[in-house]
This record gives sequence, C-alpha cells and structure tokens, in this order.
Amino acid sequence: MRHPTEGVLRRLLDEPAGVADSDRQHVVGCPECLAGLAAMRADAALVEAAMATDGGADVDVAAAWQRLSTALAATGSGHAAAPRRAGRSRGLLRRPVVAAFAVAVVLTGAGTAAANDWFQIFATEQITPVSISTADLIALPDLSAYGDVVVTGDAEPHEVADAAAAAAETGLDVPEVTTLPQGVTGEPVYQVSGEVSATFTFSAERAAEAAAEAGETLPPVPPGLDGSQVRLNAGPGIALIWSSQAADVPALIVGRAVAPTAFSSGVPYETIRDYLLSLPGLPDDVAAQLRTFTADGSTLPLPVPADEVTTSPAEVDGLPATVLVSRDQTMAAVVWVDDGVVTAVAGALDADEVLSIAGDLR
Amino acid sequence: MAVSGSARGAVRADLDEIFRRDYELVVGVAARVLGSRDQAEDVAQDVFLSLGRSSVPAGEARGWLSVAAVHTALNLLRSGRRRTSREETAAVAADTLVSDVAEAVVTLEERSHVRAALARLPRKQAVALVLRHSGLSYAEVAAALDLSPGSVGTTVRRAESALRKELNRHASSH
Repeated sequence: MRHPTEGVLRRLLDEPAGVADSDRQHVVGCPECLAGLAAMRADAALVEAAMATDGGADVDVAAAWQRLSTALAATGSGHAAAPRRAGRSRGLLRRPVVAAFAVAVVLTGAGTAAANDWFQIFATEQITPVSISTADLIALPDLSAYGDVVVTGDAEPHEVADAAAAAAETGLDVPEVTTLPQGVTGEPVYQVSGEVSATFTFSAERAAEAAAEAGETLPPVPPGLDGSQVRLNAGPGIALIWSSQAADVPALIVGRAVAPTAFSSGVPYETIRDYLLSLPGLPDDVAAQLRTFTADGSTLPLPVPADEVTTSPAEVDGLPATVLVSRDQTMAAVVWVDDGVVTAVAGALDADEVLSIAGDLR
Repeated sequence: MAVSGSARGAVRADLDEIFRRDYELVVGVAARVLGSRDQAEDVAQDVFLSLGRSSVPAGEARGWLSVAAVHTALNLLRSGRRRTSREETAAVAADTLVSDVAEAVVTLEERSHVRAALARLPRKQAVALVLRHSGLSYAEVAAALDLSPGSVGTTVRRAESALRKELNRHASSH
C-alpha cells in the first residue's frame, strides 16, 4: 500500500479520528511513516513551544468589552464616547440594577398625562433589544431592597367577546389579520388589559444596606436622588390569540398596546441613569447599551435572553422593527412602535412569516 | 410592505455574544504571533471592531475573527511598530509567557527568530499554523481559509518544517 501523504500524517498527530482507518493501520506497521511521524511531532512541539503563550487565559473580558463599546460608540453614530469604567466589578448588586430596567419593560405602558412635577424619561418611539442572560431574568429580586415599589392599575388580562368589545374597552384600533399563515385557522380569542403604573422610590439607605449585604460599597449618592421617583406607565393593551391544536403555546399572537412611557421626579432622569450605571453590579455591556439607547430618550430597552433568542433589525411598513427568533428556530416575533402604540406579532412561525403578517395587518 | 435590514451602519446585535464567546480565543491567536498579551489585546480590539460593523454570519465569526487576528498581528510584526527588544524582554517576563516546557527548549532569542520567520512565511501557511496551534480544528481551519480539509495538514506541516529549519539555521550559526 502506498504511504499516506504528509498532510494525513500531520493530522494523525492532532486529530487521529479524522484520518481513515486504512491510513492509520498502514502507519502503525510502516517504519518509514513512523519515522516521518516522529519528526513531525518534534517539529510541531518545537513550534508550539516557540509560540507558547498563556494566550487568552484569564483575560478580563468585561473590561475588554467595555473598551470595545467605548470605541464603537466613539466611531459610531456620533454619540459621545462612554467614559471608561474602572474596576472589575461583578457582585450580587448586578441583578437589582438590571431589574430596575426589566421593570421598565415588564410594565411597558403608556401614560397619558404626566403631572407637572414629573420629567418625561422616554416616550417610546423605538425598541432596542438588550441582551441579558435568562438567569438574570428569572432571578430578578425584589426591588424593594432599593426603595419602595407601588403598582397601581390592573394588568391582569381578561377575555372579551369580540374585536368591538376590545376596542371599546381599550380605545385602541384592534389589529386585523388579513391572511392567516398556513396551519393557523379559526377565530382568535380577544384579551384586553388595563393601564398599569408602577412607581419606584429610590432609598439611599435601603440601597446601602443591600450593597453592604452583598459585600459592596454603594457609590456616593448624588444630591437629590434619595427619595426621587421613577414612574412607568403601561397599557392598555389588546391581544389576539390563535390557539394551536398540538402544543401548549399559541400558534399566533398579535398584540397591541399603548407604548410605554416613563417619568422621573426630583432629579433629572440622566442623574438616576448615570447613578445606576455607576453601581458596581451593572454588567459593562448592558451599561454601554443603556447609555446609547437612552441618548435621545425615545427608545425602550427590551431585554431578551441572549442565550435563547437572536435579534435582528427589520422594517414594517417603513418603520424600524425588531425581529426575535428563538435559537431552536421554532418561534419568531416582530415588534415595532408606531405613533406611541407598540404592536407585536409572534408565533410558532419563522421570521419571514411574522414579518409578512405584520406587513398585512390592518 | 417593506422589509429590510438595518440601513445605518449599526453595530451588529450579536456582537456582545460573539465577543464573550471568542474574545479569549482571539487574544490567544494574536498572542501566539506577537508574544505579548498587551499587543494581542490591542489586535483583538481592532478585529472585533471590524466584526461589529460587518455582516459576517455568526456561524462563521470564529474563523473570520481568528484569520483577521493573525493577519492583523502579522502586519503589526512587519510594520515594525513593535516594542524595542528590551521592552519586549520585560513584557515577556511580566506576562510570564514562557511555560515550563517552552523554557526548556526555546530561548527568548529563538522565539524572536520564529516570529521573524513566521512573518516571512506565505500568509496562508502562517495563518493555518497559528490557527491550528490556537486550538481550531482541521475543519475550522479549512473553512476559515477556504482550503480542503485534506490540505490543512499539508499546509501546517510545511509551515512547521520551515520554522524548524529557521531555528536550526540560527542554532548552527552560533
């Protein structure tokens, strides 16, 4: 039998499983090939040693990400470069801070009237996904460790008879799906939910206690922040739900709600935001993203579990939209905002299907 | 209706995820070429910055980043924008780049010979070599360099052989 090539012998050193059985059997019984293999092994070891490095081991990925985020911001859409964060961070504090923003999303909602002593933080015009690992979302702790949270209104959805009843109860235009995707049939169930408002009052004392319990020191609280409030308004909203015969998850959901707004009192929102950003627990990447999308005060953070969902930008009727697709490709959703109203189409479909339904909505 | 991708040169949404997954690898790749952790991190920054503005499919990002890191690092080597040898010696000492095994067989001087030789190799050989020694599989190296999987071994072997000759040449001239 002829000898295997040098390339095959070389691979035998690294990936024996990638070499054909016949070649391996030949080499074992061939003094010439074994000698060649030994020479190759010596050369490979020499080169390996010459290039040896501790390489990327124990690099500070968080600090490096922060550096990159700063560079991206500086070279990007004209936003001022974010200041470089010092320190290594990562403590138990991270979750409450993330939670503050997660609340903003969970309670996405609309407020009609802002009282005089409230500054508007954002009126949603656009939604930007923020990657957060699922663990963070599941493990959201009680914000009461950092102040008082008061929720008013009733977000609990309830069923109504038809589109007319849903429109009457919410004042929203009920979306109408002109063409159902293949496999989805019948009439939807109509659900509505009312307007909800949540008010979070920051307490420096409570935050300091929570920080101490987590073994961290609370950064100095800016004047006026203690006792200041953030109010988030959400709803009302409508959901059209087509059930699926097979699975527990609905085949198709079309949802629409008055888009969220947020207000702060006492101190400007930037002060609260920058303070939250200075807390030791906030992941650098999340911080960088928060800085960017709050720059014009019109964008709502939408935390998505990065390990389960991928996001991409798209357009629906000329408006910027965000497409979310589950990593197993079984679910897709598209969400966009039009004139203060957020609409979402989601289901056991692919991205093209949800975009097609979204574009045909009336 | 209109459906399209992002119009402005936005940063790709999955950059964060790719960064966390591959940053260590990319620093390691660049460090093999440069021998300096600090410089390798600079190279990694450049490479991820480029990726952030690109539309390279996520599944190909690992290979793309690795190839880009080798090229960027080799360019750095060639451009002479390197530290003086004294600084390098200090950096090597500080970075404790020299493993026990390496210390036994390869001197600091030999390392610099290897780097110089690496920069003179045909690019494809140099990239294949560094990628392979950075832990990428033959299939990954093949995909990243548009080689057939069968020729990766040949390419890596040629590079190793050339570097060994380079080392021998220097050793015998002393």
